[in-house]
Amino acid sequence: MSSVTLRNVVKRYGQLEVVHGINLEIDEGAFVVLLGPSGCGKTTTLRMVAGLESISDGQLEIASRVVNDVAPKDRQIAMVFQNYALYPHMTVRQNMEFALKPQKLADGEVDRRITEASRILGLEPLLARKPAQLSGGQRQRVAMARAMVRTPKVFLFDEPLSNLDAKLRTQVRLEIAKLHKRLGTTVLYVTHDQIEAMTLADKIVIMKDGHIEQVGSPEEVFASPKNLFVATFIGSPSMNLFQMTVEQAELGLLLTSQPFSVPVPSPLLSKLSPGRQVTLGVRPSDIRIAAKGEPGSFEARVDVVEYLGIEALLNLRIGSQEFIAQVAAAERPVPDQDVSVFFNPAGLHFFDSQSGQAL
Amino acid sequence: MTANAREKILLYILIAIVLIVFMTPIYLIVVSSLKPSALMFSRPPTFIFTPTLQHYYDLFTMRPFHLQILNSLIVALGSTAFSLVVGSLAAYAISRIKSRWINDVSFWILSMRMFPPIAVVVPYYIIFKSIGLLDTPLALIIVYSTFNIPLTVWLMKGFFDEVPEALEEAAQVDGHGVIATFWYVTLPLTAPGLAVAAVFCFIFSWNEFLFALMLTGSKAQTVTIAVMSFWSSDAVQWGRIMAGSFVVLIPGVIFVLTCQRWLVKGLTMGSVKG
Ligand SMILES: Nc1ncnc2c1ncn2[C@@H]1O[C@H](COP(=O)(O)OP(=O)(O)O)[C@@H](O)[C@H]1O
Ligand SMILES: [Mg+2]
Repeated sequence: MSSVTLRNVVKRYGQLEVVHGINLEIDEGAFVVLLGPSGCGKTTTLRMVAGLESISDGQLEIASRVVNDVAPKDRQIAMVFQNYALYPHMTVRQNMEFALKPQKLADGEVDRRITEASRILGLEPLLARKPAQLSGGQRQRVAMARAMVRTPKVFLFDEPLSNLDAKLRTQVRLEIAKLHKRLGTTVLYVTHDQIEAMTLADKIVIMKDGHIEQVGSPEEVFASPKNLFVATFIGSPSMNLFQMTVEQAELGLLLTSQPFSVPVPSPLLSKLSPGRQVTLGVRPSDIRIAAKGEPGSFEARVDVVEYLGIEALLNLRIGSQEFIAQVAAAERPVPDQDVSVFFNPAGLHFFDSQSGQAL
Repeated sequence: MTANAREKILLYILIAIVLIVFMTPIYLIVVSSLKPSALMFSRPPTFIFTPTLQHYYDLFTMRPFHLQILNSLIVALGSTAFSLVVGSLAAYAISRIKSRWINDVSFWILSMRMFPPIAVVVPYYIIFKSIGLLDTPLALIIVYSTFNIPLTVWLMKGFFDEVPEALEEAAQVDGHGVIATFWYVTLPLTAPGLAVAAVFCFIFSWNEFLFALMLTGSKAQTVTIAVMSFWSSDAVQWGRIMAGSFVVLIPGVIFVLTCQRWLVKGLTMGSVKG
């Protein structure tokens, strides 16, 4: 059963349209991440689901009920805000109590839920404190506890980790994943950080300029990006791109760029004709150092070697084309010398240079 | 002597100067109110005398001074309460409505406060006379509120602007309606503003003289007029004026001290910053 459904949802601010007819189905219990660069309309979309922004056009359903005109308070949602939005004049316990107040529960039930949430999130020693007396990570956990006690139909998160330092971010990310596993509540989570999206999501929704570019599992969006935007947005370091031209050779079609060429794989043969401009994408992890003269390898110049412990990032150059390879640290070459590199044929992505769509 | 210590001494000297400037009148009031009338203007001034409570006794026996205090309290508290309710609701609306014309509205509200009071005394007199409100506390409550509300609106707008909207959104998502959100989240965070507004409204209403003089007779007379009435054409009863002035000081001081506990800074700290 679908928990949240968006049908052609549009948001306009006066003349300016910022979300252009989004369609999305979120299954009951799923963890869905809206991912995209800053300003692409993620927050706006989330706030429309929360009821904090009106919906200009289209339809929004929560638990099979159209809620376009339902007030936030009646949508049975809970939201964790980017800046936490804790009630500063209330203690941690009061923050949770206040969130529960509209549900008019028995005192025992209120206590039970607060006790449980504080235990899960490790807030017991902090219940009597005010938000000003908490660290960033603690505030974040209080915000989650406050959302959790309400046992909503859907959790909404707006960049909940962006105000935390790197170490804490990893830790809280794990807590969110555990929390979802434990509660099984539907989550709609907004972030611009692709690592957060990859680690947390069942389903990633990649947005750009108010459009959805691709919807899929982390594996799908990583392995088969639908277009250049998704290809370069997902994965770190991002995918290397080469501008190539299709040429007729003796053995079939070749993609060539001045210093090197790769054969066109058979499924694409019918789609391409000589002269077509194609963008070849290769992830740094699909490039390896080859033995000299290995068939299908190219010579490249090593500019810089970034040692990362387990791996090393090689900044390479063929002619004027720069690209990055990710290799085991033990295999890293020294800079300023030529090496042979080999592109894993299974890791090649082909895009139409004009439309940017995958071929 | 360290720079720090020197700074401290300088600070104390400055505080002492300010205290002398502000406390001298009060000292004179207290001392004069306890001085027998005969010594009031003796030269050189008498510093050592047997204090008397005669002036205070006269105050409450020759005049219904307690009733006049009651009038003043009704008027000042009434206008303060009314102005805070109306003013903070208006300020909240102005703070949250996003529109160009709302700035004009708020400036227009402020312009009320710039009006020279004397210009409206006569119209008010005529209006109140015709609707039978002359010499009632209600008349003064209405008039004072026209001055107190603009002040409250302007003061409170600044405080409402400081309350992050995310907090109100959080309350809404948590299932609270508009009124509960305002009452439990927004308003408590503007408590310092309410306290300041209350102090200003109360003091203005408590001390107001011109309208009280023109719009009240014997029944609704307030303390400012009562104290003044000891100054008559044939005699100025300094002792009673001073005793009256001192009594008049007390409710104001109590009110301000009561409000002071709400003047806490940084109430919104820790709400929305990482
Ligand atoms: N109240 C508003 N009025 C006009 N434009 C807005 C408003 N809120 C957001 N926008 C615009 O909508 C776009 C999407 O914003 P937002 O949803 O906050 O992006 P994101 O969360 O993905 O960074 C941005 O271009 C932003 O400038
Ligand atoms: Mg955002």
